[in-house]
Amino acid sequence: MKNFKRLYSYTIGERKTLIFGIFLSAIGVVLTLLGPLILKFIIDNYMQEGNVVAKGIITLILIYLGIQIVNSVVAYFSQIVIQTSSSRVIQKLRLKVFDHVQNLPVRYFDDLPAGKVVARITNDTEAILALFTSAVPVIIISGFTIFGIIVASFFVSFYAGLAMIVIVPIIMIWVYLYRKASTKHNNIKRERNSDINAMINESINGMQIIQAFNREETVLEDFSKINDEFYDSSMKIVKINALTNHNLIETLRSILLMILVVVFASIFLDTGTALTVGSMYLIIDYSTKFMDPLYNIVGMLDIIEQARVSTNKVYELLDKEVEDNQDGELNTFTGTIEFQDVNFSYDGKTNVLNDISFKVNPNETLALVGHTGSGKSSIINLLMRFYDPTSGRILFDDKNTLELNKQSMRKHMSIVLQDPFIYSGSLLYNIRMNNTEITEKEALDALIKVGGQNILDKLENGIHSELSERGATLSLGERQLISFARALAFNPTVLILDEATSNIDSETEQMIQNAMAVVSKDRTTFIIAHRLSTIQNADHIIVLEKGHIIEEGNHASLMQENNKYASMYLKQVTKEEIK
Amino acid sequence: MLNFLKQLKWFFTTHKKTYILLFLTVILLNIIDVVPPYIIGKSIDFITEGSMSKELLMKIVLIFSIIIVISYTLSFVYSFLIWQGAYKVETIVRHRLMRKFLLMSPSFFEKNKTGDLMAKVTNDLKSVSNGVGIGIFTLLDSSAYMITLLITMMVVVSWKLTILAILPLPILIFVEVFIGKKIHLAHEKAQKSFGDMNNSVLEGVEGVRLTRSFVQEKDEYARFYDMTENYLQKFMKVVKLDSLFNPLTTIVVSVTFILSFGFGAYFINRGDITLGEFITFNIYLNMMIWPMFATGITIDLMQRGNASYTRINRVFNTEDDVIFGTNSDHKTDIGFESYGFTYPSSNHVNLKNITIDLKSGDTLGIVGRTGSGKTTLIKQLLMYYPFGEGKLQIDGVPISDISRSDFREKIGYVSQDNILFSKTVRENILFGKQDATEEELQEAIKMSALDQDIENMPNGLDTLVGEKGIALSGGQKQRVSIARSFIKNPDILILDDALSAVDAMTESRIIENIKATRQGKTTIIITHRLSAVQHADQILVLDKGEIVERGTHHELSNSGGWYQKQHEYYLSGGDDDEEL
Repeated sequence: MKNFKRLYSYTIGERKTLIFGIFLSAIGVVLTLLGPLILKFIIDNYMQEGNVVAKGIITLILIYLGIQIVNSVVAYFSQIVIQTSSSRVIQKLRLKVFDHVQNLPVRYFDDLPAGKVVARITNDTEAILALFTSAVPVIIISGFTIFGIIVASFFVSFYAGLAMIVIVPIIMIWVYLYRKASTKHNNIKRERNSDINAMINESINGMQIIQAFNREETVLEDFSKINDEFYDSSMKIVKINALTNHNLIETLRSILLMILVVVFASIFLDTGTALTVGSMYLIIDYSTKFMDPLYNIVGMLDIIEQARVSTNKVYELLDKEVEDNQDGELNTFTGTIEFQDVNFSYDGKTNVLNDISFKVNPNETLALVGHTGSGKSSIINLLMRFYDPTSGRILFDDKNTLELNKQSMRKHMSIVLQDPFIYSGSLLYNIRMNNTEITEKEALDALIKVGGQNILDKLENGIHSELSERGATLSLGERQLISFARALAFNPTVLILDEATSNIDSETEQMIQNAMAVVSKDRTTFIIAHRLSTIQNADHIIVLEKGHIIEEGNHASLMQENNKYASMYLKQVTKEEIK
Repeated sequence: MLNFLKQLKWFFTTHKKTYILLFLTVILLNIIDVVPPYIIGKSIDFITEGSMSKELLMKIVLIFSIIIVISYTLSFVYSFLIWQGAYKVETIVRHRLMRKFLLMSPSFFEKNKTGDLMAKVTNDLKSVSNGVGIGIFTLLDSSAYMITLLITMMVVVSWKLTILAILPLPILIFVEVFIGKKIHLAHEKAQKSFGDMNNSVLEGVEGVRLTRSFVQEKDEYARFYDMTENYLQKFMKVVKLDSLFNPLTTIVVSVTFILSFGFGAYFINRGDITLGEFITFNIYLNMMIWPMFATGITIDLMQRGNASYTRINRVFNTEDDVIFGTNSDHKTDIGFESYGFTYPSSNHVNLKNITIDLKSGDTLGIVGRTGSGKTTLIKQLLMYYPFGEGKLQIDGVPISDISRSDFREKIGYVSQDNILFSKTVRENILFGKQDATEEELQEAIKMSALDQDIENMPNGLDTLVGEKGIALSGGQKQRVSIARSFIKNPDILILDDALSAVDAMTESRIIENIKATRQGKTTIIITHRLSAVQHADQILVLDKGEIVERGTHHELSNSGGWYQKQHEYYLSGGDDDEEL
């Protein structure tokens, strides 16, 4: 509830329009209820058997028509006004969440699957939109209608009004019971349905394996089981729905009509005077208009519940603290980087980096070597300011990075990740991203320089070709090259390369090594190396183990030391020769 | 609409009795449903004429109550049977689709993308089910309702007034169908735009490090803003069309009532009808609105159902392109002789002049650059595709005479893309041999160097993997796939680049295990790392679908060919200027 209140603050700027829309709807309700009232007038005043007043009827009918036309126009505009302004409110919320996510620390994304973050920004906000566009207006309008009908009925006859009021709690109790009975089965059904789809999807993707192992029958049996479970839970809902839902609403409507007949007859029998035909008509007409709003309000309960859950989820995300950023601008940067006694821990308990100190001078290449979990990637994370050290200092041109603005630092660095990310968009977009300072020609040059001519040849529209989602039609090597081209086009002072771990074929590997050589020329370069053969020319090699620097030097000196590095190197190079 | 019913004839004929019962129920139901308004009209007449009495009222209440009870019961039966039918169709067709998928060869899945097939199982099936459910429900209900109402109005009240008053109502059908279609189109566009927006966020989140390293946050925000704006515009188009519905209905209905009142007054004046009858008439008129709408809905639902069922049928009518025999009495000597093959969708020859003699128990290594035909060769052996030209024989019997399932029973296949199922690690390994003992399981785990990994998993062997479970690394996935084949202890083990994501140490451990345990059994290894095939009895080098070199490791490493170059490249640790 508290979060609903916070949500309300997003309506600033749209509030007047929203209220105007609801006001229009209210007018619509009044007009709708006015229609039958006019018909009552016609019946009572001009339509007595043998005494029909044509002129009166025509006048009132024209008024009736006029009212209905105005009603239609009002209904149309109230819908549009409410929908437009609520959509704007949600757009504002959506942008706010997106912006917030952009400023969350990278740490946050390590623990949360991307799908969930996306759901907050798009699906949850969409659920909240339904609260504004459906739930709030429907409840207000239906509430008006129900209230109006009850009041009007009381004017005509006390007992008729009473009959209407009695119906309301009956429906509410039914709703409660119905929801209780159906929610459970609906959930099971939904779950089974997604299980079924997941299983079909998985079977299609794994078909070769299923067939290679002759497991078609077993898979079909497993499938039948959930397919039948889906049917069973569906049938339970079918039964509940057939017993209640529309069927029950219709029945209640009939019961109400029956009660009204009894009321009309009783009034006549008790007092000897009858209600006018017009009054009876009016109440019967109203009673048929009475059920739908009740039913509609019920339908909104689900939407409100979903919106409530979604609002809480969205605010849970919005309450996560964004990164604090510093003001210090790093305008010029020669590329001197120094780590001084850096310690770092992701969880605050176990250190993944211990007393790391080193210095890299402009245009030097530093290689980081070590097994998985030795701390190589953590050093890169600190360098990029995705994280900050727990203790110790990192200096860029002798400036403490903790005092520098993150974006201004990153402007001087480019990174090539080991599983390169491809955005949907053209090849050109993937190279220069949104940076239009990089001309098309520069982007093209960068791609060719790293050896991407093959990619260009393959694509129909050259650099303007749209790449498929996540670069699915490109090989890993090609995606790597694109990310090298990107790094080169941005012309950074510092380049960070994270070599791919998996064993790619030798041709691709050579392609990438050539690219690496091109890109790292004339800039400070960090390489996380998996193949030691790639870093023989590095100025500085650091060997890491469990977050400690255990050896450092260049290739020749480390080989001479004949320690960890030398043994790793020899093992890799001679593994082909063992037998 | 009729086409749809015809397409589903098989279903309706098997459930003939149900649908006859349905038909009778709906007619009875509608006849009963027109009674209450009649009673109301009569009651009003009794009251205004002053002839209403206690006894009469009791009678009315009694009849009314009986009708309500019958109506409720019939509605229940009707609605239950209809929806039962819908879910039955859905369940049966889905089962058939799955069975069909399981019988199809890979070329079928290449022609039909997973997304398209999934759309058939989800969206298309839902449209069919809706057609059988809501579609038939409204078809029967509205036509029966409309006919009974019309007859009653004409007989009980006045046929002249009926015809005059309902004149505008067919416009509602038009409104429903016409605007309905437009809304449907606009809605699809809005959905697509929502999908784009979703995708843009997903990229933003997945590429978060990249965005930040290249300081693209502001631009990403601008991109996202455009997406939300675009979606909002498309959404508003739907809203604008949608908002037309109610006003148009209101106007058409009002005109109907105006006609009813105008002419009604005239007929009352002439004494043709009573005021009570007039009230009854107006209630009936109100009741006519729904079947008019329903006719529009029905037409739309049935059309969609029909289109969807036609798409589904296309899958059913696709024949598998691999024909195989029944011979299951053979050993595992494999012989290719001048064998050639071209994929159905390919525009160049994929395998050319392949001759291989692989005796039972031998180890064969296949190497060559990406796209040279290594996997294609293996897939011929697995009988995934129609056979090519030349000879491919198992123990001297042409492969087309051989029973596919019997032969596959002899094979353990570890594919390139390591496919695991969303089950526990244990279930994934046991997929290779379902009745394996715990001992065999442990053995397979040890052989594929998985023991350490499993110890570190949250629930050991019972850890769920995939969608609902933990994400395994590429190397772990590969080793689970290998264990799945090891546990089968197959006569022929095929590893198709199955160790690419495993580090060198682990790889050599697995290769050692293979050497030790596969004595006397056929093993085929495809790889990029030459170290994995050094022990093979025979190594083939493929290039552009042809065998360009063959021999043992020793022979090939001094032959001056591709193999030697590759070998030396790895020995030297890889040099930039090494030309391939």
